[in-house]
Amino acid sequence: MNRKVLLIGLAVVVPMIAVLALSLGRDPYSVRSPLVGRPAIGFTLQEVGTGTPLALADLEGKPVVINFWATWCVPCYAEHEVLTRVARMTQSQVQFIGVVYDDDPRKILQFLSERGSAYPTVVDQGGKVAIAYGVYGVPETFFVDRRGTIVAKHEGALDEASLINYIGTILGDAR
Amino acid sequence: MTPLLGRTLILLSLLAASSGAVVAFAAASRPRLLEWARRFAFGYAALIIAANVVMVAALVGHDFSVSYVARVGSRSTPLWVTIVSLWSSLEGSILFWGMVLGLFIGGATFATRRRHEEYMPYAIGTWLAVAAFFSFLIAGPAQPFNTVVNPPADGPGPNPLLQNHILMAVHPPFLYFGFVGMTIPFGFASAALMLRRLGDDFLQPLRTSLLVAWTFLSVAIVLGGWWAYEVLGWGGYWAWDPVENASFLPWLVATAALHSAIVVERKGTLKGWTLTLVMSSFLLVILGTFMTRSGVFNSVHSFTQSEIGPTILGFLAVALLWSVALLAGNMDRIEGEAVRIEGASREGMFLINNLLFVLFTLTVLIGTVFPLLVEAVQDRQISVGRPYFDKMAVPIGAALLFLMGIGPALPWGRATRQQVERALLPPLLTAGAVLVLGALLGATNPWTLLTLFFGGYAIHVTMREMLLPVAKRVRGGDSPGRAFVEAQLVRGRRRFGSYIVHGSVILIMAAIAVSSTMKVSAEQQLRQGETMAIGDYTLRFFGAETRQEPHRLATIAHIGVYRGEKLIRNMQPRMNQYLTQREPIGTPDVYTRFRGDLYLSVMNIDPRAQTVGLHAIINPMVGWIWIATGTLALGAIVLLIPRRKSAAGESVALEASSHPSPRTRSREPLPGDAG
Repeated sequence: MNRKVLLIGLAVVVPMIAVLALSLGRDPYSVRSPLVGRPAIGFTLQEVGTGTPLALADLEGKPVVINFWATWCVPCYAEHEVLTRVARMTQSQVQFIGVVYDDDPRKILQFLSERGSAYPTVVDQGGKVAIAYGVYGVPETFFVDRRGTIVAKHEGALDEASLINYIGTILGDAR
Repeated sequence: MTPLLGRTLILLSLLAASSGAVVAFAAASRPRLLEWARRFAFGYAALIIAANVVMVAALVGHDFSVSYVARVGSRSTPLWVTIVSLWSSLEGSILFWGMVLGLFIGGATFATRRRHEEYMPYAIGTWLAVAAFFSFLIAGPAQPFNTVVNPPADGPGPNPLLQNHILMAVHPPFLYFGFVGMTIPFGFASAALMLRRLGDDFLQPLRTSLLVAWTFLSVAIVLGGWWAYEVLGWGGYWAWDPVENASFLPWLVATAALHSAIVVERKGTLKGWTLTLVMSSFLLVILGTFMTRSGVFNSVHSFTQSEIGPTILGFLAVALLWSVALLAGNMDRIEGEAVRIEGASREGMFLINNLLFVLFTLTVLIGTVFPLLVEAVQDRQISVGRPYFDKMAVPIGAALLFLMGIGPALPWGRATRQQVERALLPPLLTAGAVLVLGALLGATNPWTLLTLFFGGYAIHVTMREMLLPVAKRVRGGDSPGRAFVEAQLVRGRRRFGSYIVHGSVILIMAAIAVSSTMKVSAEQQLRQGETMAIGDYTLRFFGAETRQEPHRLATIAHIGVYRGEKLIRNMQPRMNQYLTQREPIGTPDVYTRFRGDLYLSVMNIDPRAQTVGLHAIINPMVGWIWIATGTLALGAIVLLIPRRKSAAGESVALEASSHPSPRTRSREPLPGDAG
């Protein structure tokens, strides 16, 4: 038995297995947002078409779902349908906001008239709000509870089950 | 029906592999059983190959009652995509892995029949134990033959990115052959350790099997880079992506092992070390498999998060601990008497080569695993990127290139000062000439200039070593053609093959250095009819069009490439939006020339306003990488062609004995010998 080989071997092998074992179950695609657990950053943006200003601060007391999207984003098409349906269902309890960035208002209006809308859509000119929220790609959705704290962030298109699940957490938090 | 047949074949392959492993190990004490162990090995191979045939038939026949077909099959994809779907997704890729393992185990068992009788029980036992694990994986956590009760009429087809380029049909199989092939030398090395003997005769199958896997892996790595270059659109071919590293790590260690095996052969020393390297090549393959299939790493290659991660990790842990125990327990007995190694000698250079390769491996391994370590310990996400890897890899690579010049030039054993000078000084001329040529063509980066200098030096030595035996015969009165055939193909095939490989690697390294530091790039927003200039090309944007294709929406820019007034080519870089992807994916168009490629990719494109944001790159010498990889494979094939018995006298003596036999002593005394 060569003790040196054994010790060196174990010193390399055991920690490596340990690290790999601890890493199981990690989702390499999620970039954890440092914003989760912090107050949602306030913004005032104009509603598409009408130009009515909409301020996040005005919604305090109601849980908010902020969805970043764009008309050039193909997965957003399918997601829009889910969002609209769930938003209608939960209208009385949750406020949805669509934030469109890097897009042309005409295209947005056309998109909404073709596919319907159930909540206000605001335009993020220059993408300032998207940058403040650290949006990495569209679609991306933030869930804000009654106290204005970001509880969760979802990257990619939402399906109905997970959207309802998220809404459960922002509603449940205040009870 | 088909799912049941598939599941039965898998279960039988598991049975054949596991009972075969038991029988094989038992054959160590009861030699009669060895014949049965071989039969089990062939049986395993036949069963797992049959299971793959059933799966391909189900894919081609669109049998959506098979769960894997329902997941990746589609009636609308072309035939080649349907067949390629076999390895496009997790379960199928492991089934395919099983088949490649079957081919290797069957082939290696056949090639060693009636030979190495005392080693083979352990070798076959180890192979079949590995095979049993993979069959278990296929039968359980990654079962592709589950029954779909209400089969759908059509399926979604494989991951769209995999349908993007024909190279996707070629790169994965090469990689699997390279990865899985490492099982064979692993089995041989384990056998040597369990038997506590590594005889000269047994070195040959160990080396050959390692070289086979190494060749596939080398080609696979480059093909992967080529695919990334042709498809991903950022203008490069290597990004130190964790999964690229996963294929590079075993390659580095296997390369080191191939070289240290030469020292074992010539000097009878470094046996334990060489076996450690061979075992590590296989273990790093399993680590790489874990990295691609556990969902732990973020990469273009990763399959989605899966349940099989823990199973593979368990296997990796067992294999690692078993290898450490085997090495620690038996290494001392296997080592021959200590041999003093001279510093300025061929074997001294081999030692430095090995240290550099191991250093390279550790550097890449640490860079790859470090983010996991930090996250596990501190709950903080970090990433280790290109700058770290480039900073570490460039000097180590340059040092290895330097050794490729010095090592083959030096003689084995003690050399006189005069010999050393005669061997090392003349190549400086070529080195200087290449350096000057590079500088005249505009190279200014010090590392590039250094690479060109070392590369010129190494090419001089390589060519000299390659041509000397021919020159000698011509001077002795042979005609040049006959001299070439005799010296390179009949007698010196091994040295000839090795130096072709060396020459190719030198060319690849020079091309990497030049292409990564001397690219010219320009970005411009163009309206219809407008032009931009890059290098001596003028690019004109003719217009954009949108095309609906089965799985994607393609927006294509039509670009005319002019040199002077003359239109020399039409290029069509495009932006593809896949239905399942978040962001659109640009697909570049590449115009490959000897001096360099013109590489066009689209940053943004608007078919309504007829504007395009065009990213144009002139990538010098990239095409050389692909060409040199072809010659590298050729060199490896020359190395691998079995020797004919009649002509084998000399080389067999060379292989068989680390002590000079009469024949080896009578060889032409040349300044260098690839050994």
